[in-house]
Amino acid sequence: MSSRAYRLGSLALIAPAILIAVSAFLVPLARLIGLSFSAKGGPFVAYAHLLGDDVYARVFANTFIIAVVVTLVALLVAFPIAFALTRLSRTWRGIVFACVLMPLWISVLVRTFSWMLLLERNGPINRFVVATGLSEQPLSLLFNHAAVLIGMVHVLLPYAVLPIYAALVRIDPALLRASEGLGASAATTFRRVLFPLALTGVATAATFTFLLALGFFVTPALLGGASSLTLSMLIDGFVTERLDWPLAAAASVLLLIAALVVVAIAARFVPVGALARVHR
Amino acid sequence: MNLGRISLNAFVALTAAFLVLPILAIVPAAFSAQSFIRLPPDAWSVRWWGTFFNDDSWRVTLLASLRVAAITTVVSVVVGTAAALGIARSGPRMRALLTGLFLGPVVTPAIVLAVALYSMARATGLVGTTVALVIAHTTLALPFVVLNVGVSLDSLDRRLLLAAAGLGADDFRIFRSVTLPLIAPGVAGGAVFAFVTSFDEVVLSIFLAGPTVKTLPVRIWEEIRLAYTPVVAVGATVMIVLALGAASASRLLQRKRS
Repeated sequence: MSSRAYRLGSLALIAPAILIAVSAFLVPLARLIGLSFSAKGGPFVAYAHLLGDDVYARVFANTFIIAVVVTLVALLVAFPIAFALTRLSRTWRGIVFACVLMPLWISVLVRTFSWMLLLERNGPINRFVVATGLSEQPLSLLFNHAAVLIGMVHVLLPYAVLPIYAALVRIDPALLRASEGLGASAATTFRRVLFPLALTGVATAATFTFLLALGFFVTPALLGGASSLTLSMLIDGFVTERLDWPLAAAASVLLLIAALVVVAIAARFVPVGALARVHR
Repeated sequence: MNLGRISLNAFVALTAAFLVLPILAIVPAAFSAQSFIRLPPDAWSVRWWGTFFNDDSWRVTLLASLRVAAITTVVSVVVGTAAALGIARSGPRMRALLTGLFLGPVVTPAIVLAVALYSMARATGLVGTTVALVIAHTTLALPFVVLNVGVSLDSLDRRLLLAAAGLGADDFRIFRSVTLPLIAPGVAGGAVFAFVTSFDEVVLSIFLAGPTVKTLPVRIWEEIRLAYTPVVAVGATVMIVLALGAASASRLLQRKRS
């Protein structure tokens, strides 16, 4: 077969996928970018409106802070879990792995709904609190920052555990033994040997968690209150309540730019493409 | 065993419980006898299961979810497998370009993709149709299929293809009797991912579904934003059972592969 025919054959195989990627991804995004410049008063009115209002500035800050805090908490919890996974016996490692991977199969909606049931006024946590006398009145645990944080960490934790584990299993145990043999304390071994070698894994975990947290919609929308408005909730409000397409499009473009900046910075250090692999 | 080891194991146990138990808390809520959700229920019954499967408005959403997920799976497996075969045959630059294109939907925030597709669907009159949901879900599912089949193709022994060609088999014959049987587990794995991706999907579906075609997650979403009854927990339990079934299928496939 000539190389020309071979190349045409390859192209024919890829063509349907390219058609879907272009018509259902690139074209809609291009249309959205176009819409963001279509506000009545001029092309940049929607952006000026979004960037010049204190209310929106607070939403941007809130989205950023939530993403940072969720990422930090997820990393702090994920590191010991990933470390323990490298030390557990085969059976226990299988069990803990199943616990980490199982949530990834369950819809984010279902996982968030479970927290609504647990945190609500008459939920099991409040019943325990009242029954044990920790508080006279049921606590309001739902529709605030804390609920959003708990829910988001719960959903995003597996994305942090898996890359750190992948980095830790690659470390030669002989290096840790050597460090110990040379008289280093456990803390020194962690600080000087283990952590530096796991750094790429931690950076990958941070990228995945932060990227996903930045655009999170379902969990903050269901668990958050009016004070924990995020950019994705704002976009939803622009579309479904205010029917203001230029504003919705401009806010979407800002969120997209933020995500792309994260990807562009992270791609220099970590394999961002592996995100598609972490999904389950 | 020292203190550090014990506290690490305790931390692992607590975190594992934190990951799994909240999800399972939904299940008892589905077996409540009352008309509101209280965990654990004061009295038990299966009456809400009867409501879920007898009430048209719920049964129809489950059927719509299964239908959309099934079509999405077929489309993304066929298109994705073909794409993976094509990518395996192309040069490094083309490979990088295509990988970037197919990963786009994975790194794009779901709400952005949802609003973009919603605006497209409004312009083309596709809001509230199966077609719109299938296209949206295929966009998300395709990368997983391309990736899964790609991994299988990379581990394929090229000499087998050369041997088949040497024995006089044409391209199609080689694909049907050599390539396909060998990459079948990867294709099946991709199919499971595609099905679950579609069945679990919420954000894009909220915008693209309409009164005529509504998937189960969209119905649950609408319901839990207002007042809800234990029938929502039944719907959520159905979703958990299906997802765990898919997870087990995927595990079996993985074991077969190794």
